[in-house]
Amino acid sequence: MNIGFDTSQMLHGAVLTVELAAGGVGVSLVLGALGGLARSRGPRWLRWLIVGYVELVRGLPQILQLFILYFGLTQFGINLSPFTAGFIWMCFYGTGYAIEIFRAGISGVHPGQLEASTALGLSRFQSFRRVVLPQAVARMVPPLTTFVILELKNTTLLYIIGVPEIMYHANLLASNSQPLNIYLIAVGFYLVMNMTLGRLGAYVEHKMSWAKS
Amino acid sequence: MFSDVMVNSTPSDIAVDIRSVTKKFGERTIFGDVSLQVRQGEVVALIGPSGAGKSTLIRCVNCLTPFESGSIMVLGHELHGTNEAKRGPSREMLKSIRTETGMVFQSFNLFPHMSVVDNVALAPVLVLGTSREEAREQARELLCSIGLSHRVDAYPRHLSGGEQQRVAICRALAMKPSLMLFDEPTSALDPELVGEVLGAIRALVDRGMTMMLVTHEMMFARDVADTVAVMADGALVEIGPARQVLDDPQTDRCKSFLSRVLQQKAPSANTSAPSMGAQIAADAPTQEHEQARDTDRKRKHAEEVER
Ligand SMILES: Nc1ncnc2c1ncn2[C@@H]1O[C@H](COP(=O)(O)OP(=O)(O)OP(=O)(O)O)[C@@H](O)[C@H]1O
Ligand SMILES: [Mg+2]
Repeated sequence: MNIGFDTSQMLHGAVLTVELAAGGVGVSLVLGALGGLARSRGPRWLRWLIVGYVELVRGLPQILQLFILYFGLTQFGINLSPFTAGFIWMCFYGTGYAIEIFRAGISGVHPGQLEASTALGLSRFQSFRRVVLPQAVARMVPPLTTFVILELKNTTLLYIIGVPEIMYHANLLASNSQPLNIYLIAVGFYLVMNMTLGRLGAYVEHKMSWAKS
Repeated sequence: MFSDVMVNSTPSDIAVDIRSVTKKFGERTIFGDVSLQVRQGEVVALIGPSGAGKSTLIRCVNCLTPFESGSIMVLGHELHGTNEAKRGPSREMLKSIRTETGMVFQSFNLFPHMSVVDNVALAPVLVLGTSREEAREQARELLCSIGLSHRVDAYPRHLSGGEQQRVAICRALAMKPSLMLFDEPTSALDPELVGEVLGAIRALVDRGMTMMLVTHEMMFARDVADTVAVMADGALVEIGPARQVLDDPQTDRCKSFLSRVLQQKAPSANTSAPSMGAQIAADAPTQEHEQARDTDRKRKHAEEVER
């Protein structure tokens, strides 16, 4: 396809965007699950620590968080590459959101469920694993879908510190070509990605249709 | 019904022995110094006004909630108040108590993510180590015996309230308990569904199951219970043979409770002698009674949902 400029650069950017988002989501989900569990079942000091962490993630502007990581830490001699700083921020930010999603999912399960399984003689672990968790996960599917889409869109912010993701290349090309055409390619990319993710989320939700009340 | 339910018996004649138990939530005393015995094969109905602590008392029996002082002997296991025992009951003991005790809740609490048969088969597999096939086979038999053979593969949300509660009864019975605890099993049901659940409970009574039954169904209590215990104002105000307590209450507190319940049931009944006997003479439930119970049920349900 010849539309007057080299699209292979954009393609590289797209691949990097997907990698960053996938890595960030993966790490965030693992840490978020652990954090969410500790937030609802852990010792008090740990709960407070996690509450504080979530407040930081939720309360500070994303650019500020990113700049502190990338520029701020140089003051302590910590020089992160744009990619490393960007990836760490994706995980830092995503974990905060994932913790909240897991916590809400777990606490949203009716307490009668835990009572019923306890009364049947299931251990705490069995009750959690077999009764509470499956219901919590089902409740989490819609917010998790939104979360994955959010993480994918967040990668664009990394362009500011020079991570060569899709927006970075789009901006480079836009400066010496017709900008709208370039941006439309990015629009196409994000739409295809996010609509796919949305369909996937809806499919999983449908698979768990017992959860609809 | 329940032809295959085995009622186990333990050596002692006493199934549950509650000895001066005091229960608090925070600073608030819910009940103090409560004592109650349940013999093997006995059916004890626990009645009393809302908030009296009936649910809390039967939840102490299977350790769903701890109590402060006194002790409870359940099927040979000793539970002590948190003020008296240095350590809580061991895991093994809790497991034994809960395995040997079945509980049925007002709001059914079926597991929504499992089919009916899996709801019933879950605990035997996880707790008793029964094989999956065997547990499911037994679950099917139980469900058949309660008239739910056509619903085994359905999910709970597709069942009526009465069906859900009958599944919940099967789920408890699948552990082959020697003691059943019922906490207002029919209070969340539409009036026309109450009968099928009471029928299932009656079938269990006929099989000789030991039971503690919290209920607002006075007629049913009078019919199936050996003993009625009336709980009010943080104490058991009257305990005795079912008919005696319901027809001829001795204490003022019990009299006033019963008169209020019966009045609500049949406003036209002779209010000067609000006994169960008079109620039975009046017999057929009036329109008002149905309505009163219906509003009560809705209020209860709303509270349940709020929690
Ligand atoms: N987890 C709890 N924390 C604090 N207070 C509680 C808790 N559970 C129950 N209570 C209180 O204990 C009292 C007794 O409650 P309980 O549920 O045992 O009453 P009940 O006799 O079963 O009433 P009902 O007929 O409405 O079911 C109520 O005043 C209730 O508010
Ligand atoms: Mg109650």
